[in-house]
Formats: sequence, structure tokens, C-alpha cells
Amino acid sequence: MTSWSETKQIEAHLFGTADTGSALLFEARLLLDNDLGDKVMWQQKTYSVIQQYGRRQLRREIEDVHQQLFTKPEHLSFSQKIRLLFSKQ
Amino acid sequence: MPDNNTSDQFTKRQELFTALYKTAFPVVAKYVSRMGGSFDEAKDVFQDALIIYYEIIISAQSTLKNDTGWLVGTAKHLWIKRYNEKNKNTALDNIDILLDRPETPSNNRLLNFLEASGKKCLQLLKSFYYDQLPLHDIADEFGYSGARSATVQKYKCLEKVRETVKQKSLTYDDFME
Repeated sequence: MTSWSETKQIEAHLFGTADTGSALLFEARLLLDNDLGDKVMWQQKTYSVIQQYGRRQLRREIEDVHQQLFTKPEHLSFSQKIRLLFSKQ
Repeated sequence: MPDNNTSDQFTKRQELFTALYKTAFPVVAKYVSRMGGSFDEAKDVFQDALIIYYEIIISAQSTLKNDTGWLVGTAKHLWIKRYNEKNKNTALDNIDILLDRPETPSNNRLLNFLEASGKKCLQLLKSFYYDQLPLHDIADEFGYSGARSATVQKYKCLEKVRETVKQKSLTYDDFME
């Protein structure tokens, strides 16, 4: 078995998308193979890291849009309208 | 490999966020201003509302009936929870849970390391798991011959990142907290 197909099987196990036969076989292997259990745990953590990376990138993209709207001359009327709301505080 | 800042998907997101900023942010800013809040507070809650919005429409693979209304409502809710003196000590609710960010120094160090050492894989995995783009779009975007080739590459990248996460966790002691 190639290592990427094992990674695929781990994903099917974690996401609950394997068919019944494959799921049973995988669970039997988990009982016998400590390294596989280790990989399952780190793969679960990896999905959470990817989620954090995605959100971090999205936050940067949104900030970039914000900077453009509040610095570029073509958006001047928009940015002035917003700034005016806070100018009297 | 696309430059992330010039890809089609990036441009689409920029257009979407610019349009939403123009329609919804003035309403949020007006509300926050009227309540005695600051520009930075309005920006903070609006940007978090945009993040939740993106994650919800992506995971539901649909659009909301009234995007502007939803964004304004969510941003107002966040402002009241975070900045209104009367509500500062109220319990966590669903939106706080959605926005929970386990940003420990170790998690940030790990992300910085991955960005520096394996950005290509990270971007591919993000497109698949976070942006939930269809495989054929990912194949186009990253220059793979088709969906199958992109799938194989995705699993190879997942394995590579998994190994890095494991190795780095052994050196960052607060990582698993």
C-alpha cells in the first residue's frame, strides 16, 4: 500500500466516510498497529492546523480589502462617509 | 503553482468582500458610532462577521437570503457582546464558539514554520479543506492534469504536513494544550 493511500484511509476513518467493510478492517488494523494510531492522532491535529491557516489567510485578505477601501483615492467617498460617523466623538 | 494573490479564487474573494464592505459596513459603523463605540471596534466586529459568513456559506455551499442583513445583525451582536459595558461578562454563545481561536504561541510558531517551509502544500490543503473548492477547480488553479492527480497530491501533502506537525509538536511544549 502506498503511503498516500493510507493517508486517504485515515481520512475516511476520521470523517466516517469509509464503507462498512473498509471501516471494520481499518479498526482491526488500529488495534494491532500502534504507529497507525499515532498517525490518526496527528492527522486529526493537521486538519485543525489547516483550518487555522485558512482563517489566518482569510483574515489577511479581509484586512487587505479594508486597507484598499480606506486608502485608495477611488474609494474616497466611501471612506469619508465612514470616518465622518466617528469624527464627532 | 499560482501566486496566491493573483489567482482567480483570490480575485473572486476580494470582489465579494469589497462588495459586502460597501453595502454592510456603513450600517454597522453607523450603529457602533451611535452606541458610542469606535471605528476600530466597528472594524473588529465586522471583520469577524465576514469570517463567520465566509465559513458558513462555504460549508453550506449556498448563499444566505439576505447577506447584508445577516452581516449587520451578526456584527451588531458581536459588538454588544464585546464592547457594551452592560454585557461584558455574559456567557459564551454560539458565535464566540465559532470564532474560538486556539492561537497559542506554539500554534502560531507552527503556522509560521509551515508557511515558510511548505507553502505550496498548505495552499493546496487550504483550497480543499477550508475553501472547499471543487477538485477540478483546484486542479486548474494548481496546474494539475485533472481531479485524480489533484487528489493524489492532496493526500501526499496531507502526509507531509502531518509529519511536520508531529515533529514540531515535540519541540513546542505547549502545542498540545
